[in-house]
Amino acid sequence: MSVISVKNLSKSFKVKQKEKGFIGSVKSIIQPNYKVIKAVNDISFQVDEGEVVAFIGPNGAGKSTTIKMLTGILYPDSGHIDVLGIDPTKARKKLAYEIGTVFGQKEQLWMHLTAYDNFKFFSAIYDIPEKEAEKRIEELSKLFDLEKFINTPVRNLSLGQRVRCEFVASLIHKPKVLFLDEPTIGLDPVVKENVRKLIKKMNKEYHTTIFLTSHDISDIEKLCKRVIIINDGTIVMDDSMSNLKYHYMDKKIIEVKLKSKINFNNVKGIKVLKEKENNSRLEINTNETNLTTILKFINPENIIDINISNIPLEEIISAIYRKE
Amino acid sequence: MLQAVKNQFNVTVKTIKYGLMREMINKTSFIMNVSFMILNNASFIIQWIVIYSLKDNVGGYSFNQVLLLWAIAASTYGFSHFIFKKSYSLSDIITNGKLDSFLVQPKNVLISAITSDIEVSALGDILYGYIVLAISGLTLTRFLLFTLFSITGAIVITDIAVLLGSLSFWFGKSDMIADTGNSLMTNFATYPDGIFKGLARILLLTIIPLGLTTYFPVWIITTFNLKLTLIVIISTIIITLFTFIIFYKGLRRYSSTNLMISKI
Repeated sequence: MSVISVKNLSKSFKVKQKEKGFIGSVKSIIQPNYKVIKAVNDISFQVDEGEVVAFIGPNGAGKSTTIKMLTGILYPDSGHIDVLGIDPTKARKKLAYEIGTVFGQKEQLWMHLTAYDNFKFFSAIYDIPEKEAEKRIEELSKLFDLEKFINTPVRNLSLGQRVRCEFVASLIHKPKVLFLDEPTIGLDPVVKENVRKLIKKMNKEYHTTIFLTSHDISDIEKLCKRVIIINDGTIVMDDSMSNLKYHYMDKKIIEVKLKSKINFNNVKGIKVLKEKENNSRLEINTNETNLTTILKFINPENIIDINISNIPLEEIISAIYRKE
Repeated sequence: MLQAVKNQFNVTVKTIKYGLMREMINKTSFIMNVSFMILNNASFIIQWIVIYSLKDNVGGYSFNQVLLLWAIAASTYGFSHFIFKKSYSLSDIITNGKLDSFLVQPKNVLISAITSDIEVSALGDILYGYIVLAISGLTLTRFLLFTLFSITGAIVITDIAVLLGSLSFWFGKSDMIADTGNSLMTNFATYPDGIFKGLARILLLTIIPLGLTTYFPVWIITTFNLKLTLIVIISTIIITLFTFIIFYKGLRRYSSTNLMISKI
C-alpha cells in the first residue's frame, strides 16, 4: 500500500539577480532582475508502507524542496501530493500528527531545556496525555539509550547525543512516516553508525516508512533498499539498490602492485585511473574484455599484490549525477 | 475546535513557563531586567510631574489621565512583548526559514511562531502599568477595564507587528520597515491625543490605531462608555482576523532556506 504518492509535482523560485559590485547593487534597486529557477520539475513517484527510500541528488537538485512540499512547509506550484491519504496543502495540521521530521541542519530542540523537558514540550504539541507521554518517553529513552543524559540541558550534550534526542522528539507521537533530511550531517563515523542502527531499528520495530535524503553514500548503502535520484529538479533514476549496482556490474576496479612496470595505456577495455611507479589502479570494462584476459596480460608471476572490486557506489552515483 | 484552542493555549502556556525557567537560571539577571524596566519607565513620569507643575492641562488630559495613559501604554507593550515577543522579529523568522519547525507541528503556525519566546524585561512593563494604575486610583472596575484593554491593546500592537513582519513574504527582508512601524506605535502612545491635530490625529486614530490601544481605553476608564468599549473589542477582533488572513496569504509564498538553525 502506498503511503506517499506524488504526481507531476513542480515548484519554482524567483531569485533576484545582481551584477557584481556596488554599481550592481544600485542597478538592482532601480531595475531589479529576477531569474525563475525550477527547483522541482514535474516529478512523480510512490513510496510503499514500511519502505526505506533514499531520495538523493547533488546540491540544488531539488531534494529539500521536495521534502518540504511533502511535509507541508512549502506550497507546490502544481501537481498533487498525497501522504497517508492527506494533502499537505489542504490539511497540514492533520498531516503533522502522522509524520515526523528530522532536519539535520535545523534543530528543533530548545537548547536551555533538558532533553526530558523538551520531550514533555513536544508531547504537549502533539496533544499526548501526561501518562501516555511519560510511558512513551521512557520507551524511547531505552531504545535510544538516553537514560544517562535525559536530565541534562540540551546545550551541554554532544552533537551525537543531541541528534539522538532530535530523533526521540520526532518520534514522540508515533509517526507513520519519517522524513529525514541529511540526519547524519556533521557527525563523526561512530555516531553516524549509531544513528543508522537507530533508523533501522525504528523501521523494524515500528514499521515506520522512512524517506531519507543524504549526501553520505554509506547512509544510503546501509539503510535503503530503493533509491530515487533527482537532478536539476527531475527524477533521473528510481530503482532498487541491487539493480543500481547491477547496472554498473560491467565495470571492475583492479588495484595491482607489480614486480616490473607494464604499460596499460591503449589496451582494449582498460582505463588507467592512477599510476605510480609499479602500482596501478585500473577500470576494466567487462563488455570489451574479461578478467582472465587481463590477468594473463599482467602475468601472475609479475604480481606482488592485487585487489579486484566493484565500482564503489559513490562513483556510480556521481556518474549518474554527471549523466554519464 | 474548542479542544484545538485549548491545546494551543496549553502549548503557549508551556512555552512561557519554559521561557521563564530559562530566565530564572540566572536569578540576578532576571530580577535586574524586570526592576530596571520599572525604573526606566518611572523616569519618564518625572518629566510629566515637571510639566504639570507649570500647567494644569496638557492636550485635554489631567495629570491623573497622563498617569493612566502611561499605565495602559506600558502594560499593553508589556503583555505584547512578554507573550508575543517573536512577532517583533517575524521578518527575520520568514526570511531565514525559521518557520519550518512550526510548519511541521500540528499547531497554528502564526501563534506558535510569535509565542515561541518571551521577553522577560516586559514583565517590568506589565508590573509598572499596574503600579501606576494603583497610584492613579484603583477600584475593581478600573482594574478589570485596565486588564481588558491591556490585553486588547497588546493584541492590536501584536497584529501591527505581524502585518509589518508579513511584508517579508512579498518583499523579502523588511525588518527596518517593521521596526519603524513598531516604534511609531510606542512613541506616540505616551502623549495625550489632544496635542495632535489634523492629519496626524486622523492617522493616529486610524492607520496607526493608537485610539484602540491607548486613547479610547483612557477615556473609557475615566468615564465608562459601553459603545466605545464594544468598538474597541470588535475592532480588535476584526484587525486580528485581517492579520491572520494576510499572514496565511503570505505563507503560500514562503520559500524557506537551508541555513543552519538552532533554537536558543
